[in-house]
Amino acid sequence: MSVSRRQFLKAMGGVGLLYAFRFAPAVSPQEKNFDMLPLDIGDAECVATILDLDYREWIAFGPDGKVSVYTGRTELGQGLKTVITAVVTQGLDILQGKLTVVQGDTELCPDDGPTTGSSATKYVGWGFWLVCAKIREDLITRASRSLGISPKDLEYSNGGVGLKGKKGRRKSAFELGSGKAVLMSIDPNTSRTNDRSYVDLGILNVNAKKIVTGKLKYVGDLSVPGVLCAGWLAQPYLPNLTRLRTVDLSAARAVPGVKMVEVVRGRVAVVAERYNEVLKALDAVKAEWSVPERPENLLLEEESRARARLYEVKEQEGNVEAGLASSDLVLSETYTTQYTTQAPMETDTALARLEDGGTRATVWVSSQHPFMARTIISRYTHIPDSNIHVIGMPVGGGFGGKTSNPVTGEAALLARITRMPVKLIYSRKDQFQLRGRYKAACVIDLTTGVSANGRMIARKIDIIHDMGFGTTNTYTIPHVSTKLYHADWPFGRAVSRGTSFVQTCFAVESHVDMVAAVLGIDPLEFRLNNVRFQAFIMLLDACAEMIGYHNALPSPNTGIGMAIVNHGGSQLGAVAAEVEVNRTSGKVIIKKICGAFDIGTVINRNTVTVGIRGAITWGIGYALYEEIKLNGHSTKTADLMAYHIPRFSDIPPVEIAFLDNHQPGSPRGCGEMPVIPTIGAIANAVYRAIGVRFYSTPITPEKVKKALQSA
Amino acid sequence: MAKQTFNLNVNGKNYNVKVEPDEPLLWVLRDDLKLTGSKFGCGVGVCGACSVLIDGVARRSCCIHVGNVSQGQKIITIEGLGTLDNLSPLQKAFVDHTAFCCGFCTPGMIITATALLARTPNPSREEIIQAMDLNLCRCGSYINIIEAIESFVKDQWRGKSE
Ligand code: FES
Ligand code: FES
Repeated sequence: MSVSRRQFLKAMGGVGLLYAFRFAPAVSPQEKNFDMLPLDIGDAECVATILDLDYREWIAFGPDGKVSVYTGRTELGQGLKTVITAVVTQGLDILQGKLTVVQGDTELCPDDGPTTGSSATKYVGWGFWLVCAKIREDLITRASRSLGISPKDLEYSNGGVGLKGKKGRRKSAFELGSGKAVLMSIDPNTSRTNDRSYVDLGILNVNAKKIVTGKLKYVGDLSVPGVLCAGWLAQPYLPNLTRLRTVDLSAARAVPGVKMVEVVRGRVAVVAERYNEVLKALDAVKAEWSVPERPENLLLEEESRARARLYEVKEQEGNVEAGLASSDLVLSETYTTQYTTQAPMETDTALARLEDGGTRATVWVSSQHPFMARTIISRYTHIPDSNIHVIGMPVGGGFGGKTSNPVTGEAALLARITRMPVKLIYSRKDQFQLRGRYKAACVIDLTTGVSANGRMIARKIDIIHDMGFGTTNTYTIPHVSTKLYHADWPFGRAVSRGTSFVQTCFAVESHVDMVAAVLGIDPLEFRLNNVRFQAFIMLLDACAEMIGYHNALPSPNTGIGMAIVNHGGSQLGAVAAEVEVNRTSGKVIIKKICGAFDIGTVINRNTVTVGIRGAITWGIGYALYEEIKLNGHSTKTADLMAYHIPRFSDIPPVEIAFLDNHQPGSPRGCGEMPVIPTIGAIANAVYRAIGVRFYSTPITPEKVKKALQSA
Repeated sequence: MAKQTFNLNVNGKNYNVKVEPDEPLLWVLRDDLKLTGSKFGCGVGVCGACSVLIDGVARRSCCIHVGNVSQGQKIITIEGLGTLDNLSPLQKAFVDHTAFCCGFCTPGMIITATALLARTPNPSREEIIQAMDLNLCRCGSYINIIEAIESFVKDQWRGKSE
């Protein structure tokens, strides 16, 4: 299964022309002229030279019109392979059957950094489109020279160049290249094109048929001769707080089929022939744990405040204290959010095989960043990077949790100890608590000052315990101060869909509604008066229209709420939610969600739509259900029964609109942004429905009932 | 528990496997028969990724011991519903409606929907949601899945009235 780039090029039956490129500004003059490298692709030196020069993304033209693409990003479900296929088949005018896309293999592909839904679309999709345009241009120039015909009279089609409008003499890219390589640098951030054909390619997921027939192989579906299964003993307490005190492994070792039961890196690992034998042996392990003396309630707001230290001043404009002093009305509030986790349907899994007496390793991974996996494997096994071959398989849901996951290194380590290939499969419980890393809970203090006529004048935000911070650059406010504080907790923090914008946006957008309420202004009108960009007005209007904001008759216990987000300056969104609250059960029922998004050009509406609906589903989960409950040293929520992820019956009708801003320009992707405003929209809708503001997520039936009783 | 030989009828073929009677059917399908379309998502019956049809009823193969499968029961996995070149109409509807993102939950979804449609050929949206509700999809492809099932139903009935 392990093939080098050279072998791969050979497997194509020879390469006529290789375009090696990178997504960065151009550096050398030769490159600007698309000079061919004086290198023979068939020569071993060539591959090394191109890689040394850092041109790690390749498009190769083989004989019979075959084209191969290499990229380091793995399939995450956001349709990356689909996007590349759509873009390259259309960009180079070739049939899908002629195209091979190789992804996520450390020996074949470039290190592009971790794949995240939106950046993948932006760089890979858009980048490849620009590359295809340059390739077409370059081939015409080459053909013009070779045929002695003016470029104006030539046109590119289907992997070759010929006379415009006429049949007749044609030169294929394979012939034009004569076995040479061309280097290119493309900067997707600055490149623009007026080419409107790069819109909604409407291609279906290239893996679709494999997915629906159960033929798409995830890492857990692979097998190599002699492979053993492995698992870890689940810990009753958070891993970073607890130590294994005594263990008795004798009963576990007696379980039939068991090959190894050992304490490895402070935890009990079992390796056996069958997964079920692993589970039985784990059941037979007797272990005692030591826990720190004083149980801590990790969610206590006061604890966070006590531990907080200033980490970064994120935004500073004007003079916030003076601004607040000059305001007609000032409102201060505190919001808190919960710990959550990614909970992908595919638990962390890796398959590792050591070769050549343990000096080399091949590891099949489910990873958003196969190159990071290689570093982790090296750290665990002390095998140098260059001797580790990582093969990225399709990822059964990553959501930020499969970027630096240790499962890859752990599998390799167990393979080293047992001297056998090992497939390590995390149990669902491991997935919840083995790593002890959660998306951060936050405490967010906000103070906003407004004028009597409803203009925002000053805003101060202090966020405690976040791992990053999403800009809140959504409103025009002359005086702003945003500070980030870290509170060191004894477990790691994790990224997940929606990043840290989620917590901030929930707080900011809830707070904005409360300021409007105090002013006695309709929250939509208040937003329209204060938003920073024209696009927000269009997005809010579109949402209001879709959800029927203006003609909605107030009915008891129902309400409509809205929220907006500016995700990194390039993706803007507005979401409106209509909810009904059951006063008896306390349950919040979402009746409808509408979202309007400005995400540039939509490349592939099918993929984008299912992605946005999925992101809205995450927003619903965060707003109403999901919470990792940390109780002293243990997690009470370590399975899918206690940790409620949204299901069919939780999903309302969803309507989506894209802002067509008629700006020629790059598509900006939309992997996770819709998660963010969904939460604030739901919280605001609940407020409109029952007049109760919830200052913490998730808004559970218990919280609702309690609030209604005390109201 | 000692290993025993069990005879299983899967996708119309008979197989003999030698495993312990408390071996979950899921791992026999995946590791012994190499039918890896049925996925491991939780191992305790809450996610539905491992769903298979047993005599036409959707069951969670992670929770069924091989020793409890009766002789003669017919097991159908996702691989038994259609092939790459010959998708079942429901599989085709899933493709046409992009009813997945990562695809990990999809085999279980299609199995569960197939069982639903066998007993309720013309389900309402509520019936679809009720039947599918214990199959989890973390990517949140739910609406697309419902649309795929509904369009399949529509096509079936259109086909009948012609
Ligand atoms: S794996 Fe069987 S229900 Fe989850
Ligand atoms: S498509 Fe990823 S879990 Fe359903």
